[in-house]
Amino acid sequence: MESQTPQATPKKFIVPIGPQHPALKEPGHFEIQVDGEIVTSATARLGYVHRGIEKGVEGQNWTASMYLLERICGICSHVHATAYAIGAEKLAGVTAPPRAQAIRVLVAELERVHSHLLWLGVAAHEGGFDTLFMYSWRDRETVMDILEALTGNRVNYSANLIGGVKFDVDDKQADQIRRGIDFLEERTKHYLEVVTTDETFLRRTRGVGTMTREQAEELGAVGPVARASGVPRDVRVDAPYAAYEQFPVKLVTDTGGDLEARFVVRMKELFECYRVIREILDKLPPGDLTVKVKPRLPAGEAISRVEAPRGELFYFLKSAGGTNPDRIKVRTPSLCNWASVLVLAPGHKLADIPMMLAGIDPCFSCNDRLVTIARRAGAETWTWARLRQYGIEYYR
Amino acid sequence: MDTQQTLERAETILQAIASQFTRPAPERLDAAVAAAQLPAAVEALTRAKFGYLSAITGLDHPPAAPKAGEAAGPGRVEALYHFCEGAAVVTLRVAVPYDAARIPSIYHLIPSATLFERELGEMLGITVEGTPVPDHLLLPENWPEGVYPLRKSFTGKIEAPPAS
Repeated sequence: MESQTPQATPKKFIVPIGPQHPALKEPGHFEIQVDGEIVTSATARLGYVHRGIEKGVEGQNWTASMYLLERICGICSHVHATAYAIGAEKLAGVTAPPRAQAIRVLVAELERVHSHLLWLGVAAHEGGFDTLFMYSWRDRETVMDILEALTGNRVNYSANLIGGVKFDVDDKQADQIRRGIDFLEERTKHYLEVVTTDETFLRRTRGVGTMTREQAEELGAVGPVARASGVPRDVRVDAPYAAYEQFPVKLVTDTGGDLEARFVVRMKELFECYRVIREILDKLPPGDLTVKVKPRLPAGEAISRVEAPRGELFYFLKSAGGTNPDRIKVRTPSLCNWASVLVLAPGHKLADIPMMLAGIDPCFSCNDRLVTIARRAGAETWTWARLRQYGIEYYR
Repeated sequence: MDTQQTLERAETILQAIASQFTRPAPERLDAAVAAAQLPAAVEALTRAKFGYLSAITGLDHPPAAPKAGEAAGPGRVEALYHFCEGAAVVTLRVAVPYDAARIPSIYHLIPSATLFERELGEMLGITVEGTPVPDHLLLPENWPEGVYPLRKSFTGKIEAPPAS
């Protein structure tokens, strides 16, 4: 099954460009072995943006740690802060007031909207469908404007405190949100139609990167990737947190298991986001925004699980009774989904790899990644741009 | 099946393998498992189709400060294997001493575990025996051997040379 190793073939020396290159936005390194056009193995090397945050929070107090943890991810910052706040509140033995919990869910669903639209554009771009990329990112500006008006920031909303949220929603903001959601809902209907009917795009997605339900379960896939393979797994439904019991979401699954199914699941999830956002605005509970929490959290361990746009986000918190966390372990959903792609890749065409990687919505997105393509005649280092272009031309 | 029933089912599955059960929270069950028994415990859960492995947490338990005149006690590292089903979280807890910090891999049962196992190895110095590619996942290639960033003893600071 392994490609033959070259004997006395002269090696080509290609000076590697990265992974730490000034032009790269978020680096990662993939090593893909190919035999002709077919991938025979794939591994990854991560850690290029490893910032030591888990260690960092041990040296910060519980309040300051929030600021570090919400910067683990730019796209899903709020859901990190929510997982942390809920975990810290468990240790403290308090519950944030109902209005704060509802606002947490409101911001989380707005975040999911921005994230899924971002992904739609990125995945379209990886497949050479730049018109879809441009339109979806133009439309995404609507939710970015909403988030900025509501929280003061387009990215890193910093909505959470331990014990509640920092800001309220007034009627004017609620109206802006409703109008924006109405617009986005119409646009999402259009996008769902495009991804399921555009023939050129379907050649890159239908029947590509298929993962059966059994494989998804065995490989530990989470989030929309798992749900697109029919796995009924969503933390908002399985273990409702914050205000998800008062404002439940419906589980969205598909049986296709291929890239097309991953598009369909995320588009359908957007409709659920819009519905829940409207419901929260209509029924926002009255009351306080915060409950008091002491600077020292009692000793103990807490586990907090939330549904990030990419899947289950898992937090383990340990307090030794002091002002600083003793240990915070963060397991992000992308780590689970990498494994699924790397195991699935062998047997697929090299030209399908960019879309398969984009299909899991990896936490670093829309950028140059370093890819080592190992062919019989020796290894070459490609930039992501070259691999993407290869895929586009293959299917032209 | 509700959460309590789920936790009870897990306890039954692990009855003969875990040495101690605790319920740290309404939705959680902790089961202490000896390192050598870890593959058996994971196999029991996977054979019974109990949940999915959500994460592996590593904890450092440095030795307590010794009393005057006494030697320091042993340090331990602990690996927590979190299995989730619905709202229930069942955690297998495996503790090993610093001087014998080895745990068998569960890759043959759960292939995606290897990424979590690599992280345990490089960050806490737990050698996960049998994980297919034990290369660093996050730390750079030139990171010094035997330096484990998530151990409490690692402060990231270098000792200043003694003043001359």
